[in-house]
Amino acid sequence: MQLRAAPPLLVLLPALVLLPLALLLPGLSHGGGWELIGQFASAALTPSLEPVVLRSVAAGLLVTVAMALLGWAVSLVLGLLLGVASSRTVWTSLTGSALPATGIRRLLAVPRSIHELIWGLLLLQLMGLQPAVAVLAIVIPYAALVARVISDLLDALPTTNVEALRAGGAPAPAALLTALGPALLPGVLSYGGYRLECALRSATLLGVFGLGGLGTELKLTMQSLAFHELWTGLWLLLAVMLSLEAGLGGLRRRWLMPVRFGLQQPSVGLRAREMVLVLLALLPLSLLLGQALGVQPQALFTWQPLPPLQNDWPSVLAMPWPALVGGTLALTLLAACLAVGLAPLLLLLAAPSRWLRAPLRLVWALGRLWPPPLTALLLLLVLQPGVVTGALALGFHNLGVLGRLLLESAADASPATEQALACAGSGPRLALLYGRLSVVARPYLAYAAYRSDVMLRESVVVSLVGATGLGSQLLESLSAFAWDQLLALVVVYALLTLVGEDLSDRWRARLLASG
Amino acid sequence: MNPVLELRGITVPGQPRPRLEGIDLTIRQGERVALLGASGAGKSTLLAVANGLLPAQQGEVLWEGSPPARSRRGRRLQQARIGTLWQDLRLVEELSVQQNLNAARLAVWGWPKALLNLLLPLETDACRQAMATMDLEPHLLERPVSALSGGQRQRVAMARLLRQDPVLLLADEPLASLDPRLAAELLALLLRQAAPPRALLLSLHRPDLLEGFDRAIGLRQGRLVFDGPIAAVHRALLTDLYEGNPPCS
Repeated sequence: MQLRAAPPLLVLLPALVLLPLALLLPGLSHGGGWELIGQFASAALTPSLEPVVLRSVAAGLLVTVAMALLGWAVSLVLGLLLGVASSRTVWTSLTGSALPATGIRRLLAVPRSIHELIWGLLLLQLMGLQPAVAVLAIVIPYAALVARVISDLLDALPTTNVEALRAGGAPAPAALLTALGPALLPGVLSYGGYRLECALRSATLLGVFGLGGLGTELKLTMQSLAFHELWTGLWLLLAVMLSLEAGLGGLRRRWLMPVRFGLQQPSVGLRAREMVLVLLALLPLSLLLGQALGVQPQALFTWQPLPPLQNDWPSVLAMPWPALVGGTLALTLLAACLAVGLAPLLLLLAAPSRWLRAPLRLVWALGRLWPPPLTALLLLLVLQPGVVTGALALGFHNLGVLGRLLLESAADASPATEQALACAGSGPRLALLYGRLSVVARPYLAYAAYRSDVMLRESVVVSLVGATGLGSQLLESLSAFAWDQLLALVVVYALLTLVGEDLSDRWRARLLASG
Repeated sequence: MNPVLELRGITVPGQPRPRLEGIDLTIRQGERVALLGASGAGKSTLLAVANGLLPAQQGEVLWEGSPPARSRRGRRLQQARIGTLWQDLRLVEELSVQQNLNAARLAVWGWPKALLNLLLPLETDACRQAMATMDLEPHLLERPVSALSGGQRQRVAMARLLRQDPVLLLADEPLASLDPRLAAELLALLLRQAAPPRALLLSLHRPDLLEGFDRAIGLRQGRLVFDGPIAAVHRALLTDLYEGNPPCS
């Protein structure tokens, strides 16, 4: 008899991690802060509405949104250029050789593999505290991420159109733009919208680490246990985040969905003009935002001198590398299992009941917007610092991201099979598991593979709780100005991320191919 | 023979006219009933009321003499006794044939067995038997449904129905998109499975296939306009049912 887990079971298996976790948690809790947790939870219903608080929260939120928008706009433009520059198709058409594309791709792997928080902390050391730091910290990794997606999209497009235009005598740049531009646009918009949501989360996160905006406010109110003020900021952030998601979803449907039944077929040209107009409007908007934030272009070029390396390599080698790497991997794995497995499990438990669905959506939305380091700080009230605490915080955040995706793709899948099973008498949950989760299982797991890779890169953000491997060591070395340790840590972290990225790419390709 | 399905005064509102209006119908064990009518006459709505997909708002449905149970479990067990062959089959593409056949048992299985079914082959003997009845090779049990041919899928859907072991088989125009040979084969299979105590209610767009049924009912604009033995179905009635548009034959 052979055991082979079918797709709908496969998505639930990671949730088995709850069993060892349930055994571990009692030993980790110190129980002192339950009263505070209670106060925090009850404050959710009574956020502070004092004018002073509202004003400072609104000001913080504006700064965060401006940082996110500016960072996003610049990274999108830069990413587009770099993406075109690292496309094999483009280089082959222009020069006949794809080699330069491969070289540029390799180079871009470096900024991509380092999380924006590490960039932020490094830039903070080099440039001092100024608004440009957070923006740059977003731009550097985001531009490289956008470039990778753009070049992948470009290279996946059929090149026959380009060749046909070239054969007709069109110069290479014109042929590329005409043949590939329109086909590329939907992908760029869809991914660009997603990156804007990410940018808002990143800007909040950077704030938690002192780079300004709402994140800084949240951290301060959290540390002074001013929970009512904290919730004012959180609800406001939630409102902004949800309206952003809804607005982008609306645009995506308007621009990208094939119009059903062909009753109202807007012309391709009209939609393309709208898209290009929106993209062009970004430029003056970003300039205005930059000015409002007080980003000074000349400040970008005044760097403090690079700190000298102590060249104390023996002490670098003596660091507990296996434990550091192991801690980071354990944290990522635990967080990934929690997020990937809990999303379908919670959906199964809650979906058939109308009363539970709305709270579930709310919890997931809170998970998405709540910066993981804040969750970690909150958990520290009742849990001891360490890998598990960090993983819970990171897992909760990613549960929000994955849960939303799962809910959306389940809603898009046809209800027919689920209906048929329910009609034959299976309960609503089993009908959902067999009829609908079967369909979304493979794409969901493929996305989960990508998300796990993100979690590995992101694991640094929960390093505030201490003893989490590379991340917490990185913060320690940073505050000790041990530059050679820092350099070694960043390099190891980046290598780990690149290996993780490669593995997740392979797994994803396999999952999608066998589907 | 005991009734397996009773509809009493069923009305389903709709625009511009009710989708069903005042339907009274009793189907007894072993009866093979053909449901005739033009498209839009309410055939699919009637089947949806019969299998519980569309809860009756006005009127009463009795399954094997009882109204829909109050408890969810009781209701599920009632629904498990009504088997539907869907036109689009509604098999779970991602699962194996055996897992699909066993999905018909979900109403009686609990969670542990339902999860186990996703991990290893369960109740293989019963599945093989259902496959054999449908002239399907037993080795197909391990295949994913997505790898089957059109004819095989049709039979797997039938085998799933048999695994459900219903007292009433419902089928909504199952022959509509099939070529004549496959259609005749499937109809023969369905008629053969509808031996007492099992009954069959099948909606049909081709009155030339009435041979083999015991009884026909005719719907027009949501109303029951004919209910009688096959022998009583004549040309004038058909013209009336299809509102002057002769059915394809």
